[in-house]
Amino acid sequence: LVVACFAVLLNLLAFSRTSMSAPKVHYVTVRTGPNIAVVKYWGKRDAGPLNLACNASISLTMDNTDICAQTTVATSASFQEDRLWLNGTEEKVADSKRISGVLAQVRQRCKDPAVAAQHIHIVSRNSFPTAAGLASSAAGFAALTVAVAKLLGVQDSYPGELTTIARMGSGSACRSLSGGLVKWHLGEKDDGTDSIATQEAPESHWPIDMTILVANAAKKHTSSTSGMQNSIKTSALMAHRVKFCVDDRIERLTKAFLERDFNTFGQITMQDSNQFHAICLDSFPPIFYMNDVSKQVCRLVAAINEVAGEIIAAYTFDAGPNAVVFSEPKNTPRVRALFKHFLSLPASGSEGEVSADEIAAVAKAFGFEPLAPGQVQKTYLTQVGSGPLVLDHTSGEGDKRLTSLLDPETGLPAEEFSLQLPEPAAE
Amino acid sequence: EIHMATVSAPTNIACIKYWGKASIPLNTPINSSLSVTLDQDDLRAVTTASASLGFQSDRLWLNGIEEEGASTSKRFRACVDRMLELAGDKIDDKSGSVLVAKSEWKEMRVHISSYNTFPTAAGLASSAAGYAALVYALAKLFCAKESYKGQFTAIARQGSGSACRSLYGGFVAWRMGSNPAIDGSDSIAQQVADENHWPQIRAVILVVSDSKKDTSSTAGMSTSVQTSELLKHRAHNVVPKRMADIEKAIAEKDFDAFGRITMMDSNQFHATCLDTYPPIFYMNHVSKLIVRMVHVYNDWAGGTIRAAYTFDAGPNAVLYTLDQYQTELCALMLHYFPSTDHTNYINNNDMAAQARDYQLDEGLIQAVDNIGIIPQTGDVKNIYCTKAGPGPQTLGMEHANIDIHTGFNTYKPH
Repeated sequence: LVVACFAVLLNLLAFSRTSMSAPKVHYVTVRTGPNIAVVKYWGKRDAGPLNLACNASISLTMDNTDICAQTTVATSASFQEDRLWLNGTEEKVADSKRISGVLAQVRQRCKDPAVAAQHIHIVSRNSFPTAAGLASSAAGFAALTVAVAKLLGVQDSYPGELTTIARMGSGSACRSLSGGLVKWHLGEKDDGTDSIATQEAPESHWPIDMTILVANAAKKHTSSTSGMQNSIKTSALMAHRVKFCVDDRIERLTKAFLERDFNTFGQITMQDSNQFHAICLDSFPPIFYMNDVSKQVCRLVAAINEVAGEIIAAYTFDAGPNAVVFSEPKNTPRVRALFKHFLSLPASGSEGEVSADEIAAVAKAFGFEPLAPGQVQKTYLTQVGSGPLVLDHTSGEGDKRLTSLLDPETGLPAEEFSLQLPEPAAE
Repeated sequence: EIHMATVSAPTNIACIKYWGKASIPLNTPINSSLSVTLDQDDLRAVTTASASLGFQSDRLWLNGIEEEGASTSKRFRACVDRMLELAGDKIDDKSGSVLVAKSEWKEMRVHISSYNTFPTAAGLASSAAGYAALVYALAKLFCAKESYKGQFTAIARQGSGSACRSLYGGFVAWRMGSNPAIDGSDSIAQQVADENHWPQIRAVILVVSDSKKDTSSTAGMSTSVQTSELLKHRAHNVVPKRMADIEKAIAEKDFDAFGRITMMDSNQFHATCLDTYPPIFYMNHVSKLIVRMVHVYNDWAGGTIRAAYTFDAGPNAVLYTLDQYQTELCALMLHYFPSTDHTNYINNNDMAAQARDYQLDEGLIQAVDNIGIIPQTGDVKNIYCTKAGPGPQTLGMEHANIDIHTGFNTYKPH
């Protein structure tokens, strides 16, 4: 009996030692906003994985409380392999060179080799449709980079270093590592270490509202990567843009932003969006990202500005038909009221009053009947916002509003989260 | 006595586009351009120009309707006054006596009546045909002579820029001139090759439905010149080489090169319109479907170019092709843009029948279906099948639009 009790005691001790030394899960959640370029990046200057651009670009970061990529990354000695869940579906990390690349880049900078060798689980969700020109790659890779860096204790060893890693995931992702007005510098080096993103003005400098009009949430025909390389090869106008137009526009637009000059900011923004789409049209075969609804939005904004006597609304389009329309808060209610009328949108609660006279004046300048309901499929309302929000769940350090997408007990996506998030994206 | 001359003149469709004036008063361009003159059997302007000491004032009828204020319109005046300066003696064929001395013409007023055999609303460059017909008719009426080759085209140019290219048949260049901002005398059209040089060339024109009138060319190109940075680069650096390349392609009857350059130049023109502030959108959804279909068609054919699209300042598509592919191309368009009313949908009854009977390759239809295009009636209003053709022609008295006794318009649209 004594031997049996002693054996049981030994077993109990062994069991409790195992549970006491069960490998811990260290996990971090990051939320980032997409960014929308106001002077566009289009074209890589290198063929390899560095994602170096032909020209510099600048963007405004969107407020990540409204539209975001949210990513939880976890590492543990108990994890058997790197795993990835994107918008509820498990994907193979090895299938994505970009994601594997970001992981490798951060790991090689991790000072603790034991930690660097551990496997990582990644759970990520976008609150808006993927691959429809709403900068989903940018937000996602920015979140991934910041999250894995935080997880592995990696920081900038020189200003902007982490932005170069995000850039390698997806070029414009580098711009989502800061809030406000952000510049992605061209850089001169072949290794891309100086092709970094820096904040030119914080989000607090000039509140700018954004009205996003989704003209078609379907997957786009031409991916950005192949499209931009087609443009480099075939557009006779592209080299001129890169050499003569972009830098001057970045300079003038940055100045306008710092001076809070919406008239200038708006005009350059619209011109650069149109020039980007002009380059796409000048490619062979031509790339059409804007559709008929997009064009109606352009015409409507021109009409609104004409009646206002100055630029109060400014559109920009990325590689897709969706419009982001900027306005200053004092004009937003009026702009949104006119959009509601002429684009047949449901009320959002943020529309202001607009007189019958003004509607008549805009109608005359616009020259078209209001669009049929549903032509603009969805609207998102947001504003210029901050850089990434970070929470280290394990240490408790960071923004405590963030919820983990991963269950640390299982190392797998948290069940309840897949039910909560209102906008799971469709592939 | 009423003196009269009746002519017909063609329209033309540019392969290298004119967009932007170097001088507005002179109507000279910032770059050269090149077009194909289309066959007058299918599309033409018919103009009678008449002059008489008995006429009270200059009068103009277009498609049967009198144009108020025509006599003072800058374009009309430019054509009439410049042609008067080149007027010659009208000599009796038989007796050799002078019926009208050259100095007498300017004492007379003119009555002009012109109509197009294709609707103005079709956006098929009716101005070009119209002003070419006007200048040619006046040349015949006034027995005018050029003091240098191309001088008549310089005058037509002042009526409407691209009209200068309609004064010759076949493949025609409009040379921008050595100093277009200041001097328009050498901003003239020149025939690159006549209509018999490359007899296999065909055109299939799709008149696309559109809900709104387009931005006028004159206003549009002015805004482009003022605001598009890419347009300057196009004019200085891109067009000169394209002109040389396309002329070489025409000389060598290289449809692959001809087609590629034509499509790229159409796209670049529309790109500069988009780069304008505010932007100009001439192509619509249907135009873009046609572009994508042509790329699929050429890819399906193994990467050689069977069809080449080009779009002017409007949504209509002109598809250049070779005679051996014209029926197939027409059948393809008919498949995806069927008509609700079969009569008059295609201008040429023989082509219409052939296109309807043509068996399109299943692989081709699959390929177009795969990019998401579905047959849709109403997208295309009608189709013209045509080819390259000659310059303006003199017509007999039986075609006159003006009554020889009264001097009034006799044309009524039907």
